[in-house]
Amino acid sequence: MNKPLITIEKLGIHYPLGQSLFGKPPVLKAVDDVSLKIEKGSFFGLVGESGSGKTTLGRATLRAAPITSGTVIYDDGEVVYDVGSIGKAQLKDYRTRAQLIFQDPYAALSPRMTVRDIIAEPLEVMKLTKNREETDARVREIAAKCRLNLEHLRRFPHAFSGGQRQRISIARALVCGPKFVVADEAVAALDVSIQADILNLLKSLQRDLDLTILFISHDLSVVAHVCDHVAVMYHGNIMEQAPTRQLFANPTHEYTQSLLSAIPSLDPDEPLRAKVYRPEEAR
Amino acid sequence: MTDTTPETAPESAEDRARKEAYFTASQSQLIWARFKKNRSAMAGAIVLAILIFMGLFAPFLSPYNPTIAGADKDYRNGAPQIPMFCDDNGCSWTPFLHGVKMELDMATLRRNPVIDPDVRRYVTLLPQGWEYRVAKFDIGIVSFNGFAMTTHLFGVEEGGIHIFGTDGTGKDVFSRTLHAIWTSLAVGTIGVVIAFVLALVIGGVAGYFGGWIDGVLQMITDAVRTVPAIPLFMALAAFAPPDWSSETRFFFISCILGLIGWPTLARRVRTHLLTERTQEYVLAAQLCGASSGHVIRRHLLPSFTSYIIVDLVISFPYMVLSETALSFIGLGLKEPVNSLGVLLQNVSKSDVLLNFQWEFIPVIFFVALVLAFVFVGDGLRDAADPYSSAKK
Amino acid sequence: MSLLSVENLQLKFRTDEGLVTAVDDVSFTLQAGEVLGLVGESGSGKSVTAKSIMMLNAENAVYDERSRITLNLESGPIDVLSLRRARDMKVVRGGAVSMIFQEPMASFAPAITIGAQMIEQLLLHTEMTKQQARKHSIEMLDRVGIKDPDKRIDQYAFQLSGGMRQRAMIAMALSTNPKVLIADEPTTALDVTIQAQVIELMKDLVSEFRMAILFITHDLGVIAQTADRVAVMYLGRIMESGPVRDVIRHPAHAYTQGLINALPKLDDLDAPLTPIPGDIPSPLERPSGCVFHPRNPTLVPGSRYEREVPPLTEVSPGHFAALFPEDVGPRS
Repeated sequence: MNKPLITIEKLGIHYPLGQSLFGKPPVLKAVDDVSLKIEKGSFFGLVGESGSGKTTLGRATLRAAPITSGTVIYDDGEVVYDVGSIGKAQLKDYRTRAQLIFQDPYAALSPRMTVRDIIAEPLEVMKLTKNREETDARVREIAAKCRLNLEHLRRFPHAFSGGQRQRISIARALVCGPKFVVADEAVAALDVSIQADILNLLKSLQRDLDLTILFISHDLSVVAHVCDHVAVMYHGNIMEQAPTRQLFANPTHEYTQSLLSAIPSLDPDEPLRAKVYRPEEAR
Repeated sequence: MTDTTPETAPESAEDRARKEAYFTASQSQLIWARFKKNRSAMAGAIVLAILIFMGLFAPFLSPYNPTIAGADKDYRNGAPQIPMFCDDNGCSWTPFLHGVKMELDMATLRRNPVIDPDVRRYVTLLPQGWEYRVAKFDIGIVSFNGFAMTTHLFGVEEGGIHIFGTDGTGKDVFSRTLHAIWTSLAVGTIGVVIAFVLALVIGGVAGYFGGWIDGVLQMITDAVRTVPAIPLFMALAAFAPPDWSSETRFFFISCILGLIGWPTLARRVRTHLLTERTQEYVLAAQLCGASSGHVIRRHLLPSFTSYIIVDLVISFPYMVLSETALSFIGLGLKEPVNSLGVLLQNVSKSDVLLNFQWEFIPVIFFVALVLAFVFVGDGLRDAADPYSSAKK
Repeated sequence: MSLLSVENLQLKFRTDEGLVTAVDDVSFTLQAGEVLGLVGESGSGKSVTAKSIMMLNAENAVYDERSRITLNLESGPIDVLSLRRARDMKVVRGGAVSMIFQEPMASFAPAITIGAQMIEQLLLHTEMTKQQARKHSIEMLDRVGIKDPDKRIDQYAFQLSGGMRQRAMIAMALSTNPKVLIADEPTTALDVTIQAQVIELMKDLVSEFRMAILFITHDLGVIAQTADRVAVMYLGRIMESGPVRDVIRHPAHAYTQGLINALPKLDDLDAPLTPIPGDIPSPLERPSGCVFHPRNPTLVPGSRYEREVPPLTEVSPGHFAALFPEDVGPRS
């Protein structure tokens, strides 16, 4: 077994719901007592329906969501960070090692910057390059890896379709050479014919750049195709986690079974027989 | 694709260049391209440009001093004089006017101007007239007296030329109108600038930091919004000493307009910041470790400028309207200052309504000015909204 | 005679950039008790087609004069596109045709209770009294599987969960007993488990109420589970249409084949995902000939598809594809 890159232990993320004058305000437990190990070099799938806390969990690993309890440890062999209590200088370094790919390729790109400026921004902000030539070289290199045309770099985002924008978004996340990438519903907003292209791109980038990807999605069939390890989340808890093949061949948790049974089959003669998961009965 | 282009046409080099130009066009270029297509906005922009130009060169364009010093004693309450080329005594190459003199009308016992068709007064170009100063400004401690000039665009060799007629004291309505446009624009500009600086600071702080700061600032904003404008103006007018010079009064009014006008703008700034701050591209920058300064400078301000310009243009006519309203009810600027409000106040008399309709001409300019601003503002807003065309 | 027939529907939008074609020469029919699936990606014109049946498209829509949408009711046929006044439209909108949308929250007024909205609609379109309308609304809510319908009817849309809202929406759409139901991506915003329930519900309702459903979605799996016939649209044109089994098992058009190959399938995790090459072109740059030709990997350069628009050719009984007849071989 590989060494884990990300180790999540008993992670809790609670948001206060409103304020109350007396006693404790009620809290929303977005993530509740979650433990996970993401191996180095793995394509780790995190599946859940809306409100399951999968996005919050993903953001917590990047320190973009407040951690209430528990720990997130990042260990890539060079450095070890406790993400929850990371210092300012270390956080700067961590940002170069862990990045995020967004869901909506339209909202994630500033409409007022050229593609070159968008991709170069992380390098400039983190001061990773010495001069403009070096920045441009890095931008061109990553753009080519993400199959972006070099002449596209002077264009503005409005010139691009959803799939191309998502490639720009991926290039921006990868330009600083991160080792860990969180892809939050990275293909959910794309059309089927484009989605496969982006999935294949992510897969090949993961291999070439030796990335560890936390792939967050609501779509089980997508996860089944790209991930090697899957965790299923429901109401802030991990229901089941296993290697992909094992999980899909033999789902042990009732919730996973109900999720799998709810996917409409392409075969009209294989009617939908969705199992309903009722946690109160299961307990 | 438009219907006129055949769908089978291969992509020409020209076509590709046009497309590349679109792809590499920045936000402001796109806005301008969209604005140009909006005909009413373009018409508004042209009218606005002409009016501003007229206001800017008012002293040069107007043949007479618009104050009492330039009043024509021989032509009070006179009708507009249209220069002509021919009369009963034949034609001439230079346009001319007939002579006028005041005569007592025995029926109404009023002295009215009467035209003498036997006297010809020829129109002259670039005559020397009353003295005015170019590039004169006076902002508190910094002041510059400008250069004295006496040349005007047109005049008449003897007597007066009043193409928009004169008012009861013989002041030239045309000259007054031009100067009034300038005064109203100046009051509006000062008001808008004051309102905008306040709105940017207060709305910007509230929107960017949010939380309790936002709450407190919103309460203040709402408190200011609830202050009723008219009673406040009346109180302030009573407070303003009557011996204030017209310039001081003018500046005072502008400041009041600015201090009253900011809450609406502040709210808009805040709302815009709040929505823009949660955009994913801002989060993307923050995840790179970008500081607040970088986010504001690189993302928030550029996303803002187009909206700021639009807001400025849209709030401008309200400033002009407020100034006019104030002056109209007699609380703002007063005679002998020329502002559109003062001129509007003059035409509310029944005597003017019945007998001297030409004094209404400034009203047309006033309506044109406000409409031009509204059209340009609307056009800019439509052009600046990147989703307006996608929604169709 | 079919209940609804759409003939040569062509629709362009007048925009700043010129006329943009949204739907191009689309024809189909819908029988009572039948579910027709309309599948397509973004920009395929599937929603615009549906909206034109209720004349819900924006003001800048220009219909071609050859376009016909006919609704054959018991009272006689109605030429939908010739309706101009809101009063005439009442027979179609909310009367013979109802529509449910992707985002149920958007179709309920936020400040009015669900019941008030349902009752208002019934009073407008039927002869019911207020009491009858309320009783009928409660029955409908009960029918779509909402528990405690007599309590829920006095609640607001935001008080219901996503799945419940979609059910309430369906109840409202069905309460006037429409002949045709247009479902525009009704399950897209829902989680899979809820989607499965809504699909079940809609299948039950078709068999019970015998109405015709036009089911619009981008998800071939959902279509396979719900529709009897399917029409695949791309850039405003129908690429392929026919019985759902035929089309999904033996897709004749390269676009349908590409869509199916691009879809991740759970029963074969080793199958590679094959994207359709290229991107969906912007509506301003409509390709000539067959609109799909620039992305079609099976075509050789210079083929007929680059210049001429292929007709819908019958591949097998009732199964048509936008191919030239010489490309339609006997099925192996």
